[in-house]
Amino acid sequence: MVTFLDVVERALTGKPCSEREYDLKIFSTKLMEKVKEYDIKYDPETLVPSDNSLADDIFKAAIDFYCEVGTYCKDTERIIKFDENEIKEKLKTAPSKLTFGEGTDVGTMVPRKPEDKTLPWCFCGAGGVAVSSEHIFSKLVENYARIPIANSITTPSLTKVNGIRIRPESPLEILGAIRTVVLGREALRRGGRPGLPIMNSISTADSAIALIAGLHPEFGLRPTDCYMIATLAELKTNFDLLNRACTLMSLSLPIASLYGPIYGGYCGGPEGTAVATVAYHLMGALVYQAGWHLAFPIHIKYIASSMPELLWVASVYAQAISRNTHLLSLYFNYTAAGPCTEMCLYEIAAQHTSAITSGVSMETGGIAGGKREDYLTPIEPRFTAEVAHAAAGLKREDANELVKKLLPKYVDKIANPPLGMKHQECCDFDTGKPSQKCWDIYNKVKRELTDLGLEFK
Amino acid sequence: MSKEELFKKLSEAVIASDSQAVVDAAKQVIEKGIDPVEAIEKGLSKGAIAVGEKFDKMEIFLTGLMMAADAMKAGMDILLPHISKEKIVRKGTVVSGTVKGDIHDIGKNILVALFQANGFDVYDLGTDVSTSKFIEEAEKVNADIITLSALMSSTIGGQKDVIDYLKETGKRKNFIVMVGGGPTTREWVEEIGADGWAETATEAIKLASELIEKKK
Repeated sequence: MVTFLDVVERALTGKPCSEREYDLKIFSTKLMEKVKEYDIKYDPETLVPSDNSLADDIFKAAIDFYCEVGTYCKDTERIIKFDENEIKEKLKTAPSKLTFGEGTDVGTMVPRKPEDKTLPWCFCGAGGVAVSSEHIFSKLVENYARIPIANSITTPSLTKVNGIRIRPESPLEILGAIRTVVLGREALRRGGRPGLPIMNSISTADSAIALIAGLHPEFGLRPTDCYMIATLAELKTNFDLLNRACTLMSLSLPIASLYGPIYGGYCGGPEGTAVATVAYHLMGALVYQAGWHLAFPIHIKYIASSMPELLWVASVYAQAISRNTHLLSLYFNYTAAGPCTEMCLYEIAAQHTSAITSGVSMETGGIAGGKREDYLTPIEPRFTAEVAHAAAGLKREDANELVKKLLPKYVDKIANPPLGMKHQECCDFDTGKPSQKCWDIYNKVKRELTDLGLEFK
Repeated sequence: MSKEELFKKLSEAVIASDSQAVVDAAKQVIEKGIDPVEAIEKGLSKGAIAVGEKFDKMEIFLTGLMMAADAMKAGMDILLPHISKEKIVRKGTVVSGTVKGDIHDIGKNILVALFQANGFDVYDLGTDVSTSKFIEEAEKVNADIITLSALMSSTIGGQKDVIDYLKETGKRKNFIVMVGGGPTTREWVEEIGADGWAETATEAIKLASELIEKKK
């Protein structure tokens, strides 16, 4: 059994290697070799493939690949490696269910399979996207709590404390992290669901020290919330991230690991991105001892994941994981378009139909590329969760047809998408409730999706 | 091999990211007494431009781009010592890095590779670079441009810090400052008083050339 201390020891004693060599000669080269060896091919006509052998080949390629390349530790400039037996043992012993929340909002996250009717875990909210004020933060979270099928909440990030822009690893980041926790918990109480788990725990904390500060029980986080640790592209970690894992493990807090393999980056094309996404799950389970996993494969140029190649990646990675493991995996999307636009909802529908039908659960993604402050409303997470419930049980073949009908509605606009409206432009200041215009767009797109065969529950 | 054939070979070898083939062709350029300036313009640079275009269209990916930049550099290392200092025309000198507290480097790496491939002298400071380090290095190499990358909404403040530092030390006019990265927007650039911003690295290279021309 690989323990966390083994991981730390391997970070100190593994093969020394420069980062550039790891990126270009190890990660990239081996990934292309595995794609070729396993004959993995992207088919633009079949974005949600029904071919089980493709998913299984991607899984086998990912195990082979990860055995050979391991995880790069930037601080020690060494490679942390695992052998096949260690990987397989970890996959066997990884949790097959996890329970989160309190009171009437207790829920259990379970694994799903392709075409599974089991409802996905709905992780609703801001996906960590930034907001400019504590007021918008609170109104958003309050309204996320009012999404009836939300199983857990992801809060926005604060970029300012008392009007001062946060700087990393500074007292401002610590104050921001603490404030995120306090405001998030209070907003859920105001929204009438104080027991809902916050599963991105401290979105404003980008450093271990800020995370640790926000963990103090005084501020309101609970062991039934969840705590995320990022990875670095591609397949990398560092001491700051390992420090977070060390702290969370020592407190017996549930850990999730995040993966954003980059299409067009060192992963290459869709095939490499798919194999890398699966390999990241192995890294998360072994390096961070993560109990569940969040993947967001993303385009290098457009900071979105709604293009055909990435819909395929979402589907095949999800099938590879769900067919071959009981790992708890969630898919996170990035839309090019912003809130209160039809395009944003089409993108969400295509992305989550691909992933949910293929056997994973969901988190609401980064809207408008997740890069613009305040481009968030409670509509997008509600819509995402409803699509996810509707897509559960769909045949992959039907999902493929649906996705192909949605693509022409937005694909030509990805390079220049409509930005939509900021929260303050389309939500009521006092209540945070979206305007009628937002609801009209939401209802129109839902009607269209119903006509295309998606049955909203 | 004729002069034109050698130029073609240089260009194709850059596109193929074949450093050894670039070196071999560059050595032949010198051996045959061909003008190395012409070899750079009609061979290496032509290949580099094609590589940039291919990356923009996603016909090649980041690994190909970075290896092509390496091949270009290998060729330049052979040819440049044979060009008199007066004849060396470089597009500009750039100091590039990711700001303090931010350890993400992929966006910055793309930018650096494209700058190199397009004939700029680039000093890559890496990630988590302190404010004063950007300025010290820019002064040391007499840079035209400082580029500041940031991936996180929590780290873009570091871009403002460099600009404020330049302003408060009376050095703001000495350098063109460009910013980029996921959370940056045109509005942010206006707020902090940067000189340039682009959504993609390819656009950034074009803008850098324009800003240098404008400054002359």
